[in-house]
Amino acid sequence: MEQAADLPLERGGSPGWAVVLGQELRDLWLGGRGLLLSVAFSLLLSVIAYLVATNTALNFLEHRESVNLVLQVAIAVGGLLTLLAAADAVSGERERGTLESLLLSPVPPGQITVGKVLAALSLWLAAFAITVPYMWFLGRGVGIVGDALVTGVVVGTLLAVFLASLGLIVSLFARSNRVSLSLSLFLLLALFAPTQLPSNAQKGWAGELLLRVNPLTAGEHYVGKILVSGHAWSEDLSWLLSPLVAAAVLAVAAPILGARFMQLRGGVVE
Amino acid sequence: MPAIEAEGIGKDYGSLTAVRDLSFVVDAGEVLGVLGPNGAGKTTAIRVLTTILPQSRGRFSVAGVPSTRSREIRRRIGVLPESAGYPERQTGEEYLTYHARLHGHTRGSARAVATGLLDELGLLARRGSLIASYSRGMRQRLGIARALVNDPAVVFLDEPTLGLDPAGQRQVLGNVRRIAQDRGAAVLLSTHLLTEVEENCSRVLILNRGRAVAEGTVSEVIRLAAAPRRGRLQVAPEQTERATAALAGVPTVARITPDGQPGWLSVALAAPGAGPEAVSLNSAVQALLDAGIVLISFQLEGTRLSDAFLAMTEAA
Repeated sequence: MEQAADLPLERGGSPGWAVVLGQELRDLWLGGRGLLLSVAFSLLLSVIAYLVATNTALNFLEHRESVNLVLQVAIAVGGLLTLLAAADAVSGERERGTLESLLLSPVPPGQITVGKVLAALSLWLAAFAITVPYMWFLGRGVGIVGDALVTGVVVGTLLAVFLASLGLIVSLFARSNRVSLSLSLFLLLALFAPTQLPSNAQKGWAGELLLRVNPLTAGEHYVGKILVSGHAWSEDLSWLLSPLVAAAVLAVAAPILGARFMQLRGGVVE
Repeated sequence: MPAIEAEGIGKDYGSLTAVRDLSFVVDAGEVLGVLGPNGAGKTTAIRVLTTILPQSRGRFSVAGVPSTRSREIRRRIGVLPESAGYPERQTGEEYLTYHARLHGHTRGSARAVATGLLDELGLLARRGSLIASYSRGMRQRLGIARALVNDPAVVFLDEPTLGLDPAGQRQVLGNVRRIAQDRGAAVLLSTHLLTEVEENCSRVLILNRGRAVAEGTVSEVIRLAAAPRRGRLQVAPEQTERATAALAGVPTVARITPDGQPGWLSVALAAPGAGPEAVSLNSAVQALLDAGIVLISFQLEGTRLSDAFLAMTEAA
């Protein structure tokens, strides 16, 4: 076989991941899907904020607890949106028949993965931006607006990175888009399940371990410690360990797995 | 330097062998038609050559780049996959600009490439329309335009006319010819429409059950196939019996049977390989004219690519 001909290949364009990210953002936000989800998110947040702030029958929460509740809902639902967007990223393209033309480009699949994960994260950023006025409205009386926003952006971003990477990994291997979305949703519900355990089951070394190793429960627990218990941000940093590790591990794993397993057929290693 | 050089390529899916021992060469500016019945391995062969699937055996180079450097190959090829999907909510211009940028173009140069290709493929007037509103023919032309965003040295087109009406087919095939003639690119055209190959391809590769059963120019493949030759002759109905008697004395005619319609006779010619005289209708026609029989029309079958294709794929 002869050597490659010299062709002008480098044209000075943006890196592949940035091109994919730009297109994914356009599809998500100008295509209307992101906007629709954000409107639904703000409606949900409005209902919850209205109930905890004004309804005397339901307003049994302390002010700090109201802020905590709304922020935790914002993190959970923002994470859910991020997870679902990522879960559609590869399996959806596969089903729509557009994955092959993407794989035929010279952009490495690992970079395609990075662009798609970052695009999914934009949903969390939008969700957080929507949450800001609610935090201000609910928290201004007790002076925890700053704490709520900083804690929210740190914990929420760690969990969103974890969930976006998780969704994309599921999407890489799922045989269909429906399987990818269902499995991702199931995993999210499973991760949230410990929060529904009776409070005495969450105590003791086993209960605490369960809460600590699960990035979602650990993150939300940390938020509660800051906002409800009034702890300093440095006091319970150990609770951020599992969200941090989960986000870092999956954020590294997603492009590596994408480079190896982004294929035309889900669940099949050719 | 050949544009495509394949040596003994094979592809297995578990215990199933989709492509076996495939070897061929395509030069720049050439259109190679890849023919084969459904399941012959055409799409798998294209996916291997375009680096979407790894080969199980053999080696190949595309545009001089060996198969081990898949990213380099993808920089130099354009592909219209079989049943390609399109993002419904993008315009044709956005779609092409995006793919040009994936191939390293800046935003500005990508837009210029997109505009040029939309013009070339006759889609400029619909550049701002959503792809959802494109007809199937327009989508296929958009797919061809996408395959050209990187000015490829080799273009792979997998069933580009599938599902198109005759006008759409003619448009797409005109584009295929221009890619080879004007751009000097090698084109590998996979199809199951034999007329497309006869009219547009300089050479043919016939696949059957994953194996190449013939390769060459259209006439070489027809000769190689040695399809059984048959003649159909139409005479005045009242002269049918006299015509049968006249043909019975012709040495190159093996058998004469009525064709079912008044005045039509079916003539089986001598076995292939007995020389060009033996497989032509010349002697039979001469015998009828000598007997004073009015010959209304005649057809010689077994001389078309479709005959060769059927002979090769059915025999296998």
